[in-house]
Amino acid sequence: MSSPQLPLSVRLDRFQRRFAPYLFVSPFFILFAIFGLFPTLFSIYLSFQAWNPVQGLGTMRFVGVENFAFLLEDPWFWQALGNTFWIAVVSGLPQHLVAIPLAFALVMGVRSLRHPLTAAYFLPFITSAVAVSIVFITIFGTHFGVLNQLIGVLANWPLTAWLFEGIRDQLPINWLGRAPYIKPAISILVFWQFFGFNVVLYSAALMTIPREYYEAAAVDGANLPQRFFYITLPLLRPMIFFAVTLTIIGNLQLFDQPFLLTGGTGGSGQAGLTVAMYLYRTGFEWLDMGTAAAMSWLLFLVIGTATFIHFKFFGRGGLETRE
Amino acid sequence: MQATIPASTTEVRSKRQSRFNGRLTKGLLYLLLIAVALVTLFPFYWMFVSATHTQSDIFSAPPPLWLGDALERNYGSLLERIPFWRNLWNSVYVAVIATVTTLFFCSLGGFGFAMYQFRYKNLLFGLLVITLMIPGLLNIIPYFLIIQFLGWLNQPIALWFPGMASAFGIFLMRQYIASSISRDLMDAARIDGATEFRIYRSIVVPLIKPALGTLGLLTFIGSWNSFMGPLVVLRSREAFTLPLALRTLEGQIQADWGAIMLGTALAVLPLLIIFVFASRQVIEGLTAGSIKG
Amino acid sequence: MKKLLVVTLLLVMGLAWAQTTKLSIGVFEPLNEHVVRVLPKFNELHPDIEVEVRTLGFMDHHNALVTALAVGSGAADVVAIEIGFIARFVAEGGLVDLAQPPFNAGQFEELFVEYAWLQSRTADGRQVALPTDIAPGVMYFRRDHLATVGADINQIISSWDSYLEYGRQLREHGVFLIADAASVASAIIRSDIPVGEGIYFGADGRPLLNSERFIQAATIAQRIRQEGLDAQIGAWSSEWFEAFRRGTVATELSGAWLAGHLETWMAPETAGLWGASEMPGGVLVSWGGSFYGIPTQSQQQEAAWKLVQFLTTNPEVQLEAFRTINAFPAMPVTYDDPMFEEPLAFLAGQQARLLFADIAERIQGIATHPGDMVAEEIFGSAMGQILNEGVAVETALNEAQTLVERRFRR
Repeated sequence: MSSPQLPLSVRLDRFQRRFAPYLFVSPFFILFAIFGLFPTLFSIYLSFQAWNPVQGLGTMRFVGVENFAFLLEDPWFWQALGNTFWIAVVSGLPQHLVAIPLAFALVMGVRSLRHPLTAAYFLPFITSAVAVSIVFITIFGTHFGVLNQLIGVLANWPLTAWLFEGIRDQLPINWLGRAPYIKPAISILVFWQFFGFNVVLYSAALMTIPREYYEAAAVDGANLPQRFFYITLPLLRPMIFFAVTLTIIGNLQLFDQPFLLTGGTGGSGQAGLTVAMYLYRTGFEWLDMGTAAAMSWLLFLVIGTATFIHFKFFGRGGLETRE
Repeated sequence: MQATIPASTTEVRSKRQSRFNGRLTKGLLYLLLIAVALVTLFPFYWMFVSATHTQSDIFSAPPPLWLGDALERNYGSLLERIPFWRNLWNSVYVAVIATVTTLFFCSLGGFGFAMYQFRYKNLLFGLLVITLMIPGLLNIIPYFLIIQFLGWLNQPIALWFPGMASAFGIFLMRQYIASSISRDLMDAARIDGATEFRIYRSIVVPLIKPALGTLGLLTFIGSWNSFMGPLVVLRSREAFTLPLALRTLEGQIQADWGAIMLGTALAVLPLLIIFVFASRQVIEGLTAGSIKG
Repeated sequence: MKKLLVVTLLLVMGLAWAQTTKLSIGVFEPLNEHVVRVLPKFNELHPDIEVEVRTLGFMDHHNALVTALAVGSGAADVVAIEIGFIARFVAEGGLVDLAQPPFNAGQFEELFVEYAWLQSRTADGRQVALPTDIAPGVMYFRRDHLATVGADINQIISSWDSYLEYGRQLREHGVFLIADAASVASAIIRSDIPVGEGIYFGADGRPLLNSERFIQAATIAQRIRQEGLDAQIGAWSSEWFEAFRRGTVATELSGAWLAGHLETWMAPETAGLWGASEMPGGVLVSWGGSFYGIPTQSQQQEAAWKLVQFLTTNPEVQLEAFRTINAFPAMPVTYDDPMFEEPLAFLAGQQARLLFADIAERIQGIATHPGDMVAEEIFGSAMGQILNEGVAVETALNEAQTLVERRFRR
């Protein structure tokens, strides 16, 4: 004989208790499956097809690894990859080399102005890449850009003229028009926009270092540089690891800034073409979506490899937790 | 404090010396930091100053460094060229809805992951974390195709709907909830007869306000500034968000840089204002998130 | 009785209102200025058609059009297409074949300059768009520099060699021959094209990037650069505008529309100092042009056709476009209009429009290829390498050839 039925209210209660977590999590996961998971899977599928979207979904043609083979032999792809790496390193390395001392100075040196200063450094980060790029287009103007005008003044000022001897005959620099200068221009912009973010991250990490460590070291006779190198840096390793990871992943996908600074073209001789830009052009302007999808996966591979190497070098230190 | 008896005059002098050096260093440090801040802020200053000048003034040597008088003229030109206020409204509309929906779904989902045990929980969460590492660029083409399939091309919903399931958001929420809400609290509420959803609504939400604030700000900022997504799915000028509208302005053949700078300044202003008031929250929220993560 | 009348009237009005067809037309700047101006006239002729004008920037408009055609929805009922993109749509479809009934566009063939008509026709005879404006390629020159050097314009344009010689003479006076040597290359590759071939692709679809014509074009441009005859300024950059204002370049190769821009906003203060002539070396090219087509997805193709006809086959409308946005009409019949004999003050009273019309009628038709835009970019890149980075002509062009071949492997 079956057990007596429980009252409806109890059954309902048990039901909602049991299924509540699923209900809470499912809307999220449904969305995620549609807009997160499915696109990823679909783009894998797409990368093995040849497809011109103008001709409709039915015209997809399976081409195996032909897209990948094409890209690996494509001079423009390799150039875009090279550009992307160049910009990533040239804008990324200074971001951290400058942010760490700045954060150190902010946290250890000046106490009162710390917040306003940090806010000032952080402001570029929250500003839209479009707005920032537009402003920098005027700053990078060849004849009337503020930057070149400043350089012009400095190059003629006795105190600083010696700095510019090497490039004097190149002045005024055509930042956005000539191939050798477009990448530096993009890098300057990217550096400006992101170094404040790293300052914030490093400041946060620095503030968790107990003062006693420094005081103990000072008692032992360590001076400022020594304290920095033997206490701060090692303890900062996890944060450096984290922040550099973000920079690697972010910079390798750079799109907005180079796209706007070169007017969507990649610049003279494709010097400013990043992989992300090339992907966009291939898929949306040249309508070769299969190749574009293949490119996005090659990029993922590159990012994955770079991150993997990064983990290998900094990994153990990064994943260690401090007592 | 014990009075220290100087052993010799040299020691006194060196102590005074080091204090002076300390002050000097500190002073120089301040100077350096402020100088860096000024250089960092200069492009913003330039943007606002240029907004009040005509194009020929902007492109002149020496450049104008103080406010000009072309503000009204630039404003008129701006409105002639793009439906600026309409575009601003689009940005606001999308950003607000994106923020509200993201907060709701991410906090609900984060709550689920943090406080409950259910099948496949770890698997699903692991999946989430993995996708955090996949570059967003990968999805741009399928994103476009899905939007097109749903008939959402050129509609605002294409911009805020997909973002509701932000892996970063749910991750943040989960961490915060896990460390702020206790099982005891929930059990007490259950004994009082509250449904699970009621627990979420009346207990969890009030307690995670700081995290909601941070995620909300980040979502708003991200939506306001987003460029590539709108670039791909928005097709008509009236539907553009601000970044696209600015790009249209800049790409016009007969460009008016006075109007462009004004448009840019106006587009940046809302975020600037929010930041001035909420900078601490934003920065601290970010740092708290990164430390906990 | 009265009641019946009123009811009937209301019914008829209601029906009439319900019958109003709503059309949309998608254009890129600056066509919108013209379309908006002539719409009232269209409404007079067709009171039952309401037209909505959708405007986008040049690239955005075409990209959106591509998407809309791909998706099968979202395109306007009438779409403007510029010459650089027309090939793509000719080949890839999505536009209505206007040669078929009920449109029967074939009846209009004689109205247009030949090459423009051919440009919007597919190889198998489908007429996917009608031309609305063309851009005869001309050379604009500064009369004052001409006088300083004491040269004769006809002698200069007789050959590319004499053009370069003019440049050398100009250099002695500190003036540049042209803003960018690359535009000379662009002009040369567009000339002397055998029938059935396109600029970048042959009749069989094979890319021509390293053919004789291209090598010649690149070599001449290279010479100009190497001898320091050009200002090394990119078109549409702020330096380019500056150069016109200050008069530091003596000539420019462009579509006829450039004078309009110069006069209205680029360099109005230089009015009266310019003249127009044919391009050197007898080069007759088209430097632009727009078309109107009807996407197959349109639900009101008949009404759309009325609008297309209005915009393209109505001489008054064509002349109006010429007046408003300097869009040179594609219909030779309009060239008889007195407007064409008008001396242009900006060009020191020259009756330049007659010159443009003459050039327009002599331009030869060339085949188009969907890959034209990509090939143009790759060629531009190659020219950049040759001129800016000193790469050898053969090397750069061979590389360009390979790139184009690979890009169009399927």
